[in-house]
Amino acid sequence: MNYRTDRIILIIFLLISTAVAFLPYFVQSEYLLRLITVVIFWIGIAGCWNMMSGYTGYIDFGPVVYFGIGSYVAAIAMTKYMVPFFPSLFLSGLISAVIAFFIGIPTLRLKGAYFAIATFAFAEAMKQISLEFDRTFKVSFFQGSDGITLPISGHDNSFFFYCILPVTFVVMLTHYFIEHSKFGYGLKAINEAETAAEISGVNTTANKLRAYATSAFFLGLYGAIEAYWITYITPSDVFNVQKTVQMVIMTLLGGMGTFLGPIVGATFLTLISESLGTRFVEYYLIMIGGIIIVTILILPSGIIGTLKIRKRLRFI
Amino acid sequence: MDTVFAQALINGLLLGGVYAAYSAGFSLIFGVMGVVNLAHGELIMLGAFTSYWLFDFFNLDPYLSAPFAMFFLFVFGYLVQKYIINQVIGQPHIMSYILTFGLHLMVANIAIKMWTQDFRSITTTYSGANAAIWGLNIPYARLVTFIVALFVTWALWFFLMRTETGRAIRATAQDKEVARLMGVDIRNIYAITFGLGAAITGLSGSVMSPFVIISPEMGLEYTIIAFCVVVLGGMGYMPGALVGGLVLGVAQSLAATYLNAGVSVAITFVILFIMLIIRPTGILGKGSVA
Repeated sequence: MNYRTDRIILIIFLLISTAVAFLPYFVQSEYLLRLITVVIFWIGIAGCWNMMSGYTGYIDFGPVVYFGIGSYVAAIAMTKYMVPFFPSLFLSGLISAVIAFFIGIPTLRLKGAYFAIATFAFAEAMKQISLEFDRTFKVSFFQGSDGITLPISGHDNSFFFYCILPVTFVVMLTHYFIEHSKFGYGLKAINEAETAAEISGVNTTANKLRAYATSAFFLGLYGAIEAYWITYITPSDVFNVQKTVQMVIMTLLGGMGTFLGPIVGATFLTLISESLGTRFVEYYLIMIGGIIIVTILILPSGIIGTLKIRKRLRFI
Repeated sequence: MDTVFAQALINGLLLGGVYAAYSAGFSLIFGVMGVVNLAHGELIMLGAFTSYWLFDFFNLDPYLSAPFAMFFLFVFGYLVQKYIINQVIGQPHIMSYILTFGLHLMVANIAIKMWTQDFRSITTTYSGANAAIWGLNIPYARLVTFIVALFVTWALWFFLMRTETGRAIRATAQDKEVARLMGVDIRNIYAITFGLGAAITGLSGSVMSPFVIISPEMGLEYTIIAFCVVVLGGMGYMPGALVGGLVLGVAQSLAATYLNAGVSVAITFVILFIMLIIRPTGILGKGSVA
């Protein structure tokens, strides 16, 4: 491993993060600040997916479920039990991680397409359950398709900017830790040859579970923040499969199992959708489809991955 | 046995037949190539639209336009596999999932662009007609689809077991390297398999067109149901689609009758999830496990 380039990248990353942290003081336009916040938000979410699926090669098709659980925990804690925002935020992450732990035990034994479908099924099941629970049991808890309206925060965009930035920062630091720790080597070994890794003494189950629960923890945080930001959630919104798709495509575009991948992919795709999506609304999804197909055919390892292979560089 | 229960059971079996009809192609494509085709619903959509336009322009009955849909989708599937999906054969399976998802987005949205998002339906003389036997209603159109499902399962089995191409497909599914060494052109076999899967899916879309709502966005939910059906029956095991479809259809119909329609969808996914955990090879235990 070439540690020098990695360290340079880390230093650049820290410098940029510090610079970004002061942006709300300089950026006057609310629109621009919101756009930057959305980019950082997606970098973090794509990073959560990359942490689990990018490194281990276990393709999770239902990460959005932990996002949704986070949203619902926060919403229910704040509206039904009058818990303030920050404790509910923490609770969201915790409950997401605990659920991920218990779901992970049976599902992480499955391989390939089976894991992908099981996670997808779990996400869809949770969406349907939160939609139908109240009507079936005649209670008012998830509030089904009516959705839950959270207390209006009264905070401006910069408040949410400062909520999201530290989380994304920690997500990316976790990536750096994964790249340079035994735990991370274990995850990469699972991707390359799981049986061989197990024989070599990697506790594959524990490693996978840790990665899965960690990514669920952060997704729970994002879900809670978004719920508080938007102030209104419905099951079809927070468990929307479109979010999963975004995470996967962003990471894939940037490069799966790389540190820079989610950053590059999420920034690129968010800016594309912001510029093209508003100008060519009707053709936007066709173009996204086209971009996906072209990426897979021309750059199957993503932008960063291809760069690494072409230039024969070893960096994160 | 009371009438409500019997009617629910019949509805479930007929619904199951519909499920089986459009899931067989999904199972075939997965079984041979390991591709989870996320653009599966779009194949159904294209089949249904083929029938719709032929009905609209030439007043051609959907059952008569079914062969056209089959032919059109065979060509479509063959070309898609040959020029797009074949490019990622040697790579991890994730590539094919995402590639087919890209296809799903493109096909569905181009269809929206061409045909708008309107909901359409084909109204034939037999569209709402029922056969009434012992106080039970049996919709003709669904009965025909059920029979088509049985026929497709049989024909597919016959094709795979009794023809030379079928043998090559089975060999490729078992071990593509050895098949290649035995002189099978696997790229061509893959293209034929995808074309075949697309053709029977298009056929199902066509025979379903008299009783379903046709719109460019209909695809995704069919893909999801096909997932469930194929997992229940055993992925890659052809007759499994029939078994999985019937089980799922009956379970959904009973849940919708005795609880409510929303719960029946929830139950679908809970069954799917539990099934994958405890018995990933399907109800009959004959599916392939990656």
